[in-house]
Amino acid sequence: MAQVALFGLIVNKMVEGAAVEAGINYFQYYVAGVTIITLYSTAMFIGYDIFEEAEHGVFEYLLTLPVSRRELVLGRSIGGGLRSFIYVGPLLGIVLFILGVSNPLYLLIAVAAMFLFAFGVSGMSITIAVAMKSGDKYDILIGVLDALIVRLSTTMYPTIYMQRAMPTYAAIANFNPLTYAADLFRWGTGVEGTLQFSPLVGILGLFMFFFAFTFIGVLFYERRLEGGSWQ
Amino acid sequence: MKAIWHVVEYDFTNFFRYRWYIIGLIAMNLADLFISAIVFTQMTSIVNYFRFFAPGLAVVGLFASAFTIGREINMEVRREIHHYLLSLPMTRTELAVGRVLAGGLRGMLYVTPLLITNFVVLRLPTLSQLLLILLTLLLLAIGISGVSISIAVSTMSFEKFVTARGVVYYMLFFCSSVFYPLSIIQVLATKGLQPLVTFAEVNPLTNGSDLIRSLLLDSPDYVFSPLMILNVAVFSVIFALVAVLAYAKVLQRQ
Repeated sequence: MAQVALFGLIVNKMVEGAAVEAGINYFQYYVAGVTIITLYSTAMFIGYDIFEEAEHGVFEYLLTLPVSRRELVLGRSIGGGLRSFIYVGPLLGIVLFILGVSNPLYLLIAVAAMFLFAFGVSGMSITIAVAMKSGDKYDILIGVLDALIVRLSTTMYPTIYMQRAMPTYAAIANFNPLTYAADLFRWGTGVEGTLQFSPLVGILGLFMFFFAFTFIGVLFYERRLEGGSWQ
Repeated sequence: MKAIWHVVEYDFTNFFRYRWYIIGLIAMNLADLFISAIVFTQMTSIVNYFRFFAPGLAVVGLFASAFTIGREINMEVRREIHHYLLSLPMTRTELAVGRVLAGGLRGMLYVTPLLITNFVVLRLPTLSQLLLILLTLLLLAIGISGVSISIAVSTMSFEKFVTARGVVYYMLFFCSSVFYPLSIIQVLATKGLQPLVTFAEVNPLTNGSDLIRSLLLDSPDYVFSPLMILNVAVFSVIFALVAVLAYAKVLQRQ
């Protein structure tokens, strides 16, 4: 909230000229981006839970439950995504109040895409957590990933300025799921008249992200669970 | 003095246990400078944002690393490690002073690569300028370490500590000239937010980052004033004292 209220408003003043040039209201652009950043960060927490479970012996308990390994992983991935939505709920409410809703159908599609995004991020977090034996290494990888994935996306600034700063940054941003989620959310709330991609491309990108990480996550998790190799 | 030195040594050894966390933090700081700041430079004509933000980044890093001492002390209080600490042949005050100093020195250690980055991207300071920057950052780090320890001993709950840390972080950073020039914050006064502007002006993070800018940016917008150091020194003395008293009191009570 403080980030939205102070950082957003003050930076809005700082980049007034650029916002006019890009045809955006930077404050609105930014608050939509912050929602996606928060959703991403909270969905990533599930990986820490996996490490904690391994440390405290909860894995053994989970394995005794009458559910298949696949169901277990899918459940964790969806659970991780859902709880991040609950966490982001109040912020989302305030952001929607600030931005307004111009087309409820678009918003519904955007929120559905954000669910896919959150499930995908949870799957990614689980994949990384189970692929690593050391909590320290997981910590650093998540830190570095967070540093790059957020900054190399359109959550905080439009692509046009990334292109001017460094074309490579803009090229990477074009394949970043945070870019798809942020652009779709802006489209859903009517913040931007024109989009970087068509909403269909964004939704497709998020679908691919979700499927890739959920199924890779399932495979990794299943393998790690067998024979106690997580220990 | 020897006892204090031992405590500092103990905390320094502990600091290196978080090397992965520190590497992640440095990567995040550098990404802020070499990605976000470069892009924002394209978006604003008010300042050269890349050059403007580099000193702010050093203060961000200093804050994050000096604050880690509070996390450890909070953990010690919760796990009752203080029983062991109280058995050591030193007074409670020596122990408390040592911890505050260690927190500050850890901040200085972490800030070194960020400071070197500043010297590379801005310019090399003269010897007197370098000493002035180091003195100010050390005072700032000790003050931040004091804030962190004061919060850490005020609560037994890690969640409450993390929440308080978040509140302090957002209050001090977003209401300072770390991320944006003070002149832009001052516009808020016209919107009835004068208290925020006043807070930003006296904020030690504003004074710390503007002091580095005044010495390295060669811009008429940033003029060095001894008041900057005085401001940071007052903050440092107040919070170092509060931390020493609070820590010693918590140890005694337990």
